[in-house]
Amino acid sequence: MEPIIATQDLKKVFRLGKVQVPALRGVDLIVQEGEFLAVVGPSGCGKSTLLHILGGLTNPTSGHVLVDGNDFITMNDADRTRFRRHKIGFVFQRFNLLPTLTARQNIAIAQHIQGNGFNPHRFDAVADMLGIREKLNHKPFAMSGGEQQRVAIARAVICEPKILLADEPTGNLDTENSQIVLNMLRALNRSFRQTILMITHNPEAAAVADRVVRMRDGRVVSD
Amino acid sequence: MVNRMVLQNIMHRPVRTAVSILAVAIEVGMVMLVVGLTTGLLNESAKRVEGVGADVLVQPPGASFFFGLTQAPMPIKIADRLAEIPRVGGVAPALFQFNSTGGLNLIYGIDMESFNRVTGGFVYHSGGPFEQPYDILVDDWYAKANHVKVGQNLSFLNHSFRVAGIVEHGKGARLFIPLKTAQEMSGALDKASIFFVKCTDPGYTDQVITSIHQLLPRYQILSVKEYMSLMSSNNLPAMRAFLTVMILVAVVIGFLVIFLSMYTTITERTREIGILKSLGASKTYIIEAILREAGLLAVIGVLAGIAGTWFARKVILASFPTLSIDLTIEWAGRAALLAMVGSLIGAFYPALRAAQLDPVDALSYE
Repeated sequence: MEPIIATQDLKKVFRLGKVQVPALRGVDLIVQEGEFLAVVGPSGCGKSTLLHILGGLTNPTSGHVLVDGNDFITMNDADRTRFRRHKIGFVFQRFNLLPTLTARQNIAIAQHIQGNGFNPHRFDAVADMLGIREKLNHKPFAMSGGEQQRVAIARAVICEPKILLADEPTGNLDTENSQIVLNMLRALNRSFRQTILMITHNPEAAAVADRVVRMRDGRVVSD
Repeated sequence: MVNRMVLQNIMHRPVRTAVSILAVAIEVGMVMLVVGLTTGLLNESAKRVEGVGADVLVQPPGASFFFGLTQAPMPIKIADRLAEIPRVGGVAPALFQFNSTGGLNLIYGIDMESFNRVTGGFVYHSGGPFEQPYDILVDDWYAKANHVKVGQNLSFLNHSFRVAGIVEHGKGARLFIPLKTAQEMSGALDKASIFFVKCTDPGYTDQVITSIHQLLPRYQILSVKEYMSLMSSNNLPAMRAFLTVMILVAVVIGFLVIFLSMYTTITERTREIGILKSLGASKTYIIEAILREAGLLAVIGVLAGIAGTWFARKVILASFPTLSIDLTIEWAGRAALLAMVGSLIGAFYPALRAAQLDPVDALSYE
């Protein structure tokens, strides 16, 4: 079966003035559809950069990266944006909800950007599964961290993305809420075969994944 | 959905929103009021000249049809020669005096008898005609604006005048003094700035003008109808330039405030723009959202500006009854268009900048 994510000798170098800072030094990674993968490693090892490249937020310096059959190296910014709109869902450590919108509007805007219009059945199903029905008319400042993260997950999966990319989704949560969020990610993966790639520092969080990949100094050191 | 987001954003920063709306409203109000005051001044001034009741105006060579600008006197004897022209029913000489102390006023020095013959005579609200050389007649608008009463002394052109009468407005000037007095004060004895010529029938106007041209070939001779059509800012280069500059200043103010407002907004919302980008929002989507926000601010500003201008007109006219402000739908439309276009242009660069933000940098913006 064709992997949903395949990277080969993936490199990313940032330029800070005249200094070149390598963030990824040749990452080889294969992720199968429906897999729940955790990427762990110390700060600065390149986890977030890898996630940003796989989500089409930034382009690699060299190497190959195929995501759902699309070669990012050959895609321009507009193509990657379109790809992200239809195939990727993001969950961030800081929730990243739009502060002026309610939970309902934060979720609905993803559907609006995708352009397929509001799907009430999908919306209800996601809201029920994540247990946020009571909070739909609340704005982010009126919700707890755990509730905000559940809304962020709802927003990420509302358009049925091929891949869910989660960047330290429990990093800003207490133990109880962390467990709730992890259970939800696990449930999404099990119930809908949602492919999830999660970055985390937390070994307990990584433990819920099917597979754990360790990174150090811009490389995968164990798989 | 975008509209809802735009609305929420606008409500989220009430002070910024209020300042932006106020700037656009001021822009619209400034354009409408400046144009309204200018055209009002010209129209009202033209109507007053029309109200004299003459059919033809005779001025010396090179005189401006904007009366206050030139005084260039002509020999008063010309009046007798004009009166001899067939179909001429009356000739009234007037000498202009431009008073600049305590406000700008055009004073007509008039010969009461000939002026009455052309105009049909003043309608007196109180008092009566001149009795002494230093008597003055003021119109009712001037009297109301300056709380003038009959018998009161007014100081003009370094002389004290007794108010002899308050007359109905609309007969050339707001202030009238005896012709002889005006001539003595300006050292222009036996001179006049203009002759108001009344035909025995308005249908003879062209015929009379032709005759006057033959008599006074180099003089400036206009029918009152022609004069009325000339009294627009388009025929006054300085006025046109003034209007253009004022409109430009207003547009630049609106443009800069919207530019600054939207620029600040996108800096403040960098992270939110990053979030939209992470959701797959295209550059067009982000530009459109920001332009919609600027557009909505401009629309509210335009409506507030138009309403505010009508209100300001009432307040100004209540405080300065001699002013005239002509507000027109046409200029309200033009001011609205200028404000809308200025606002959208002002918002375009910030919108473009937002669309070009790197999503990773935007998401990590603190």
